[in-house]
Amino acid sequence: MRIAVLVPGLTPHDAVSNDTLGLTAALRQFGHEVAVFAQHASGVDEAVLAPAAIHSWLRSPKDVVLYQYCVGWDFALGLFRHTQARRIVRYHNITPPEFFAGWSDDYENSCAGGRDQLDAYAQMNCELYLGCSPYNLEDFTSRGVDPARCALLPPFHQVEQLRQLSPDARRLPAGSPLLLMVGRLAPNKAHLALVDALAVLNERQPGVHLLSLGKLDPRLSRYGDALLARIDEHDVGTETTLIQDASGAELRAAYERADVLLMLSEHEGFCVPLIEAMALGTPVIARASSALPWTLGDAGLLWESSDPHLVAAAVMRLHSDTDLREALRTRGRARYAELFAPSVLERGLHAAVQRLAA
Amino acid sequence: MSSSPQDDYLERVKAEIRAEADIARARDPLVRHDPPSRAKKAQRPVFDEGIDRARLDYAIGELTGAHYRAFIDQAFRALLKRPPDEAGSEMQVRLLAAGASKAEVLGNLRWSPEGRRVGTRVGGLLPRYALAKFVRVPVLGYFVEWGLALAGLPMLLRHQRAADTSSAAGFAALAEAQANTRRELDQLRAAHAALDSEHNRRSEAMRADISRMLLRLDALEEHARSPHASAHEAIELRHYVHAINHWITSLQRSLGDLEDDAARSRSRADALAASIDAGAEETSARSARHASWSAVLATRLPTGARVLDLGSGDGAWLAALAARGIAASGIEANAALVARAQRHGLAIALGDPLAVLTRCADGDLDGLSLSAATLARDETDIAVLLAEALRVLRPGGQLLLRCEHEPHRFAAADTTADAAHHNGALLAAAGFVQPTNLPAHRAHAVLALRPA
Repeated sequence: MRIAVLVPGLTPHDAVSNDTLGLTAALRQFGHEVAVFAQHASGVDEAVLAPAAIHSWLRSPKDVVLYQYCVGWDFALGLFRHTQARRIVRYHNITPPEFFAGWSDDYENSCAGGRDQLDAYAQMNCELYLGCSPYNLEDFTSRGVDPARCALLPPFHQVEQLRQLSPDARRLPAGSPLLLMVGRLAPNKAHLALVDALAVLNERQPGVHLLSLGKLDPRLSRYGDALLARIDEHDVGTETTLIQDASGAELRAAYERADVLLMLSEHEGFCVPLIEAMALGTPVIARASSALPWTLGDAGLLWESSDPHLVAAAVMRLHSDTDLREALRTRGRARYAELFAPSVLERGLHAAVQRLAA
Repeated sequence: MSSSPQDDYLERVKAEIRAEADIARARDPLVRHDPPSRAKKAQRPVFDEGIDRARLDYAIGELTGAHYRAFIDQAFRALLKRPPDEAGSEMQVRLLAAGASKAEVLGNLRWSPEGRRVGTRVGGLLPRYALAKFVRVPVLGYFVEWGLALAGLPMLLRHQRAADTSSAAGFAALAEAQANTRRELDQLRAAHAALDSEHNRRSEAMRADISRMLLRLDALEEHARSPHASAHEAIELRHYVHAINHWITSLQRSLGDLEDDAARSRSRADALAASIDAGAEETSARSARHASWSAVLATRLPTGARVLDLGSGDGAWLAALAARGIAASGIEANAALVARAQRHGLAIALGDPLAVLTRCADGDLDGLSLSAATLARDETDIAVLLAEALRVLRPGGQLLLRCEHEPHRFAAADTTADAAHHNGALLAAAGFVQPTNLPAHRAHAVLALRPA
């Protein structure tokens, strides 16, 4: 089968890019002819063609085009409207624009534009809607897409490569308990709630430290300023470390050193850091929002609220309860092996593509 | 405040956490929002982007020295206190390419809504920016710009001459670089020709080999057609059958060895379990030495000290520590022993002791107790183990190494006394100080201090 994979861009340390590279490699392993089309690519080991070349590359109605839908992109929408090839929408979800209201007009408009295209893709009756989580698939089934055309496939990831790296802890703080947050600095990720929880913990447990690994987009500088202001308000500057350019080795060391991955995000289409933590044995406390309950399952403590007292109490309990920590680690490793290990993902992708062939 | 339904165990834990949170909230309902002191504010984390956020005053000359993208980057960082975003940067680059002055670009940024919010002051920018905007007024602006250009003609001529000199220097540098590139290209061509020649030579040799092999193949085919061929094939076949028989015998022998190894491992595990289950006499001896060792350890630890015991076995040593009032928790890799210890109410968990040690924070423990028989399999393990022990103990923390069931397995020595000496030397080599031997019948322990 000839399969064109269309993605807005490819960059290192990016979930959609990792998924693209992983599924491309798996499809080639199954014997398919695969080409990747993107507007830009840097720092990745994959030959990429310009999106405009996809029209001539797709020759037969039996060919397949797989679109990594994670932003609004008129080119992809136009292609899906007119192509004769079979179409797969690989949906990673798009953050609802209201999260960015008051923080960045650019982000708000961009996300609104991306979500506006959901209706169009739903009405196209594509051959397959491939969601990273049940939460993502709901965006299509709630718009009338036949569930028989939907399939669940968690994203391909770099966890095994991360596991192989030698940890580099030179820039990491030495607090205990050490709270870890992995993800870009954005309003939906709820860093402000993390700082509130840190403030409550700081009253009860001297030595507690929050480590955040993630970049701040210049367009969200207002959110960055608000985060620093919140840190000032609570006077927890010396208990907080923000690293924007963490390497893989530092990420590996952070998971190893952290007592807990604290994920209070209010919107995630899947949340790769959860499976990184599960695989590497870091207990997780998370907000029960969007796709997080499905991704984490019973391998962590889930809360409907980000109430700082509740989060602080959960951290303290986890810090003092060896049995609970060990139980969560054991469950995390088992859940990763059962649902998210590369071999499981490869089997899922193979089944989805076979379904298309049938 | 509710949570997603999880399994019974987690729901029970979460109910307890909720209760703890309610108590904490009632005790301290509001998170303090006191303004930070000046010293604390200086310690807050920063987004390291090379931006001096505190500086809000510049002279225009400081911002116009750089060119092209470096100029745009510097302008964004100074006036908007952030790195340029891609779209914003492109727009300003297009303005420069269309002939706009740097003052106009700076003014656009400074008096944009974002720039106004930041409020950076740039001395001398306002009149230049106003003039840049004024010359864009149709007709009138053209004449004003024309007049300004006329008035500035002498200066323009000086700039032109300076630019000529700069261009000439640039061209000279370019010519030199071009000559260097040409030289490197010639070298590459020569190397390529040499490689090409080598490739041809090897291809010829390969072709000759292939011809010889084809001839040999023809000869073999001819030979196979001869009347004696079947007899030769039978001899060759018998040779192959003998070789396969030999291989199968070797394989069976290897499998037998593996089974013997497995049986030996089982009997070793059984022996270890049996030694733990030893009779009353052994139990009594063990209780006596544990009481003695824990008494020494208790005198060297502060009140409320945190002690971790790795390789706790059935928890007898943990129980001895608890009897001395020491808050100790244990890790054991054998599930049956963990279950037995937990039935006696001891704080013990199932896990890989070395992995648990690796996950401990630096300087987190007041005391660490290691069971040599359970933990170490070779010298590499021991070195890693002791390095980790040094890391997790606070300065002044105590390390106790117990050799009870299999003292010789940990220390390559013939007697218990030799083993104690060897272990003391190992601890000293790992950086511990003041090793103290605690002898006992058919066992020993070494107590050492993590230096400050």
